[in-house]
Amino acid sequence: MITATALDKRYGHRTAVDHLTFEVRPGMVTGFLGPNGAGKSTTMRLMLELDHGGGQTLFDGRLFGTIRHPMREIGAVLEARAFHPTRSARSHLRMLAAGSGIPYARADEVLEFVGLAGVAGKQPRSFSLGMAQRLGLAQALLGDPGTLILDEPANGLDPHGIHWLRDTLRSLAAEGRTVFVSSHLLSEMELMVDRLVVIGRGWLIYYGDVAGFVREFTRPTVVVRSPQAAKLASLLGTEVLDDGSLRIPGADAAEVGEAAFREGVVLHELTTETASLEAAFMTATGGAEEFVGMTA
Amino acid sequence: MRDVLRFEWVRLRTIRSTWWLIGSGLLLNTAVAMLLALATRHEPLDARIVSDVVTAGGASFPLPLLAVFLAVIGIFATGHDYRYHTIQPTLAAIPQRARLLVGKVIVVGGVAVLVTAGSVVLNIAAGLVWWDRFPDLTSPPLGEVLPGYLLLSLLWSVVGTALGQLFRGVPAPLVAILVVPLVVEQLVLRLSFVPSLDWLAPAVKFLPFTAGQQLISYAGEASGGDATEVHMLARWPSATVLAAFAAAALAAALALFRHRDA
Repeated sequence: MITATALDKRYGHRTAVDHLTFEVRPGMVTGFLGPNGAGKSTTMRLMLELDHGGGQTLFDGRLFGTIRHPMREIGAVLEARAFHPTRSARSHLRMLAAGSGIPYARADEVLEFVGLAGVAGKQPRSFSLGMAQRLGLAQALLGDPGTLILDEPANGLDPHGIHWLRDTLRSLAAEGRTVFVSSHLLSEMELMVDRLVVIGRGWLIYYGDVAGFVREFTRPTVVVRSPQAAKLASLLGTEVLDDGSLRIPGADAAEVGEAAFREGVVLHELTTETASLEAAFMTATGGAEEFVGMTA
Repeated sequence: MRDVLRFEWVRLRTIRSTWWLIGSGLLLNTAVAMLLALATRHEPLDARIVSDVVTAGGASFPLPLLAVFLAVIGIFATGHDYRYHTIQPTLAAIPQRARLLVGKVIVVGGVAVLVTAGSVVLNIAAGLVWWDRFPDLTSPPLGEVLPGYLLLSLLWSVVGTALGQLFRGVPAPLVAILVVPLVVEQLVLRLSFVPSLDWLAPAVKFLPFTAGQQLISYAGEASGGDATEVHMLARWPSATVLAAFAAAALAAALALFRHRDA
C-alpha cells in the first residue's frame, strides 16, 4: 500500500505538484494519468524522495529513505535510459544487486524474464527504446519487490511488447503486489488498470475506479434503430441520422424502451454506448493542459 | 555501509573508463620514470634520483601525473550518475545520500592508493633496468616522500569525487581539475616572483594543489620553482592545506547532494 499525503512541489512561483493526496492499493494496477507537464514524473520523484518537496509518501507505513534495502520492497523506473552505455545489462543489474544485498544470479533471472537474456553481456548503448524499457523493468523486478512504480513503461514497446507488459503487470498485481504506472497510451491503460489517479497542473482531478472516471466525465449515449424512426425521433425530440439510427446523449435506455413501447413503436436496436477512457480524459483534463499546439 | 562499498566497487570495475584511466596513468608514469632513470644512468644512484623516478618527476611538475588520472576516476564516480541519469537507480538502491557519497570516496580513495602503490613498484622496476642495485627506500627524506605520494593521490581522488558531485556532471569538473592547478595556481605562483607583485607570495603556500606537491618534494622544489622563495610550508603542514581543501569540497558536495533534487 502506498499512501501519498499532501505532496507538494514548487519551482519558484510555479506550482508543479499541488497538495496531492491519494492511495495506491495492493492487488491491483493503478494508473497515473495527466497531460504533459501535469506533474506526474515530479510526483513520482517526490514519492521516491529523489526530489525535495512538501508532504510525505509511506510505503506500507514507512518512508522510502528509512527502508534499508528499498529495491527489495519497491521497484521503480522513472527513466528509460538510466544506465551507463558501456556497462553491460548484466553488470548494471549486478551493481544494483550488490547495493541491495540481492544475489547476482537474480540479474540473469530477471533478464530472462524480460526477454533480454540474449543481450545480457552486451553494452546497452545500442539498445532500442523498447529494449531499454525492458531493462528498466528488469531493474524494477530485481529485488522481487511488493511495490512497482513505473513511469511510462510502455513507451517504445512494440504491440507484442505492450501486450506482454500488460499481462505482466496484471499478473504481478494479481499476486498481491502494488502497481502504480503512468502512461500516455490511454487505450492501453483502459485495458490494464483497475484504478486511476488523474492530475492536471499538479492538482488532483480524479481518484477512483476507471468506470467511475468515465461516468463522471462523460455522458453515455443511447443508440436506437427502428423501422418507425421518424415517429420515434419526434417522440424523443431528436433527429434521425443518415444511417437511420437515433443517438440520444445522456438518456437512459430503459426509459427510451418504455416510451417506445407506450407509443407502439417497434425497436430493432436499443443499446447504451459508454464513452472511452480517452474521451473522459480529454474532458477531465481539457482545461489543465500545460502545452497546447495549434490545429492545422 | 558494506552494501554501499560493494555497490561502488562493482560500479567502478564494470566500466571501461576505469581501466583505461588506470592503464594510461600507469603507462605514462612508468614511461616518465624510465626516461628519468635513463637520463641519470651515468650519475651515482642517490636518494634524489630514486625519489624522482619513483614519483615520476616529484614536485618539479605543477601536478602529479598519476593523481590526475585518479582524480578523473573520482569525477566519473559521481559525475557519470548525472551524465547517464543513473542517479535514479542508484538512489533507488541506496537512498541514504551521505552513505552513498562516503562509500564512493572510500572505494575511489582505496583504488587510488592501491594504484599509486602499484605505480611505485612499476617505477622502481623501470629504474632497475639501469640501476645496479635495489634502492634504499627508507632513507630520509625518501621515507616521507613515499607515504606522501600515496596521500597525495588519495587527496586528488577525493577532490575529483567531490567536484563531480558538486558540478553534477563530467565536463566542468574535468576543466576545473586541470585549469586550477595548471593555470590559476601557476599564474599566482609565477606572478609572485614579479617584484611589484611579491605581495602575492604569502598566498602561494595556501594554493591547495601547489601545496599538495610538497608531499612529493625531495628538497624544496615547488611546481618548478623554489619552495623557500615563496615561503611554502613544510611537507606535512602543506598536506593539511590540500587536505583542508579536499575536506571543504567534500563537505560542500555532501551538503548540496543532500539538499538538491537528484
